[in-house]
Amino acid sequence: MIEIALAGNPNTGKTSLFNILTNSYEYVGNWSGVTVEKKVGMLNNKKGHLIDLPGIYSLNPLSRDEGVATRFLIEENFSMVLNIVDASQLERNLYLTIQLLEYGKPVVIGLNMVDVAKGRGIMVNEKKLSEKLQSPVLPIVARTGSGCKELAGLLTNEEQKNKPLYISYGQPLEQAMETLAAKMHGVENLPPKRWLALQFFEGNEVVHGLLKTMIPEAELQRIFTETEALVQSKEGAKSLSYHIRAIRAQYIKGVLDVSLQKGEEVTYTLTDRIDNIVTNKFLGIPIFILFMYLIFKLTFDWLGSPISDMLDAFLTGPLTDGLTSMLQAAGASAFIKAVILDGIVAGVGGVLVFVPQIMILFFLISFIEDSGYMARIAMVMDKTLESIGLNGKAFIPMIIGFGCNVPGIMAARTIEQPKERLLTIILTPLMSCSARLSVYSLFVGAFFTQNQALVVLSLYLLGIVIALTLAKIFSSTILKEESSMFVIELPPYRIPQWRTLMRNTWEKGKGFIKKAGTFIFGGSVIIWFLSYAGPGGLGVDMNKSFLALIGGVLAPLFEPIGFGSWQAGAALITGFLAKEVVVSTMNIIYVAPDLHTLQGIMANHFTSLSAYSFMAFLLLYVPCLATVAVIKKETGSAKWTWFSIIYALLIAYIVSLIIYQGGKLLGF
Amino acid sequence: MVLTDIKAGGKAKITNTEHVNVLVRRRLLDLGIMEGTEVSIKRILPFGGPFAVEAGGQWVGIRRSEAKLIQVSHP
Ligand SMILES: Nc1nc2c(ncn2[C@@H]2O[C@H](COP(=O)(O)OP(=O)(O)OP(=O)(O)O)[C@@H](O)[C@H]2O)c(=O)[nH]1
Ligand SMILES: [Mg+2]
Repeated sequence: MIEIALAGNPNTGKTSLFNILTNSYEYVGNWSGVTVEKKVGMLNNKKGHLIDLPGIYSLNPLSRDEGVATRFLIEENFSMVLNIVDASQLERNLYLTIQLLEYGKPVVIGLNMVDVAKGRGIMVNEKKLSEKLQSPVLPIVARTGSGCKELAGLLTNEEQKNKPLYISYGQPLEQAMETLAAKMHGVENLPPKRWLALQFFEGNEVVHGLLKTMIPEAELQRIFTETEALVQSKEGAKSLSYHIRAIRAQYIKGVLDVSLQKGEEVTYTLTDRIDNIVTNKFLGIPIFILFMYLIFKLTFDWLGSPISDMLDAFLTGPLTDGLTSMLQAAGASAFIKAVILDGIVAGVGGVLVFVPQIMILFFLISFIEDSGYMARIAMVMDKTLESIGLNGKAFIPMIIGFGCNVPGIMAARTIEQPKERLLTIILTPLMSCSARLSVYSLFVGAFFTQNQALVVLSLYLLGIVIALTLAKIFSSTILKEESSMFVIELPPYRIPQWRTLMRNTWEKGKGFIKKAGTFIFGGSVIIWFLSYAGPGGLGVDMNKSFLALIGGVLAPLFEPIGFGSWQAGAALITGFLAKEVVVSTMNIIYVAPDLHTLQGIMANHFTSLSAYSFMAFLLLYVPCLATVAVIKKETGSAKWTWFSIIYALLIAYIVSLIIYQGGKLLGF
Repeated sequence: MVLTDIKAGGKAKITNTEHVNVLVRRRLLDLGIMEGTEVSIKRILPFGGPFAVEAGGQWVGIRRSEAKLIQVSHP
């Protein structure tokens, strides 16, 4: 089976193409750094694997996601590179192409975004380009799929062989490359030696690491300094990397001279106009908050709640009735009936009711992601975030975290500064994810019917404010900064494609439904059983069940923050598995036939104030199991993983205490 | 003259980026912004916020503190 690496600059449409060629549903968005890990897919003709990689500008990585891509290209075995270049930014894109061609593996070039280029008056002559680069070039539009079939045909052509592209870098450097190449031995399957030497002189850290396994570090250092001095004196270059860049730029210029026609300069007028508003001096941040408010209005009042109500009516009405009569007919025992109706239907159904709201939220987040707004909001937030020891890019993981914290934490890979990245990872769990939304839905429906959207918005803002405050505290104590940096690409706005939106929404929402079918299903059975059994045997009064015992241990602790009942304690313990399990547990514990009855029963156990305190606690208290696992994976440190659990617990308690006791003082 | 002396909507040619933080310079280089590049200032965010500059059709956001270290001349 052949392996084809998909490489190119960030945000050039690699994943869009990958989805078409492998029939996948990977994550597409209009900013740089959407893909942060490699994804493998099977080509539609089943003849090979296509490997989607994070975007890179050169083979010398600066951030973690870039490291994933360069490591793959340097260390792994693959038979061909599919290089995607953005036709509207050809000069910059070819810089990577040159390095790939120098590598010597067969390269097929997908000239993407020809529609954008055309709109800006840029015409690329692909025949001339192909001649110049000695590789096939095919114009495509990955967004619509045009040209992609033809491109796929080229990929499994095993005839294609490329000779490494040869550009002369001048006598002194060529000499040094030869000397260095002669010293490389003892490691199998090396990339071409000249290429390695060139990359080393350019300052590539990954290659440097590889060479260290063959040549002593001191010698490498010596060769580097000597060569640099030589190139500086003989070629008058500022440094080796500048020299190499200048020669490549010259080469690219030669290529473009014959293959590129620039028409009249057309600037993005639409982008300009939208930017005038969303990054406006005074309106930038208020507009962001307004957007959030509209999102919650849509999810709760206007669209989400009515649909959820309909689903609830179906689940608790026809479905439950149907199941009951089926069980009756099958002669099921009372125990089985209770497991199914009071355990599974209550637990799983209780969560499924919120699927419409969650889907709407995911849809709106996908819209933001694919529009180009993401990079703008990062820029608008940069000044604020800089003052607390982060940079604007940290806001992107946080917004993604509103959908689900797990991909949010992964998205922190694009943050170049290691400390800023770590800080972002441990604070992203404070962003209120969609699973928590189901709990809020339950509570606001019971206690804040008038102001549902506003109350939920306040919780989201609470999460953000606490994250920012903690960022300030952590960055000025345990995570002191060396130097902060912020450079962000601002892509042109694009009207999101319906297909992309649906796919992205489905991909995200699917996880939620899957969890309901597996995790929450199993959890509900266990929770129900714990509420059914007790030291006194089976079918005990629920207040004497194991669940009540376990929850009761925590109850006194929660007394000062407003919800000292065993029910609340039990729900919060189970919420560590996944936050929406709290909803399942409450459905089981309060034995409610439907959402509205449950909300009615809850009114006996909570006041509005303690309900708000409960929601704040749930927002902050611990990252869920899946999030903890990804924190461990991304930080590679047990210490920081524990830290993110413990600080969250402490903060949650303090905040809820302030809300509850403060609220009581104020007379709520 | 430095980049921050240019008003929104104005153009300039970069003459020196040596004083800029190395990582930032690397990134700008990746994006094709270096000595000799002609840039235009697209937006300036308030309260000392970032600058959005455009070079060759590519828009990039950078911090004002960094923009202050980029020397430019009239195009
Ligand atoms: N107009 C136009 N837009 C495109 C084309 N191809 C992709 N896009 C859009 O460009 C954006 C980026 O697409 P992705 O496929 O996520 O790009 P990527 O190269 O995988 O990006 P990273 O993973 O961040 O490196 C999306 O908004 C796409 O809809 C195209 O040919 N024309
Ligand atoms: Mg991608």
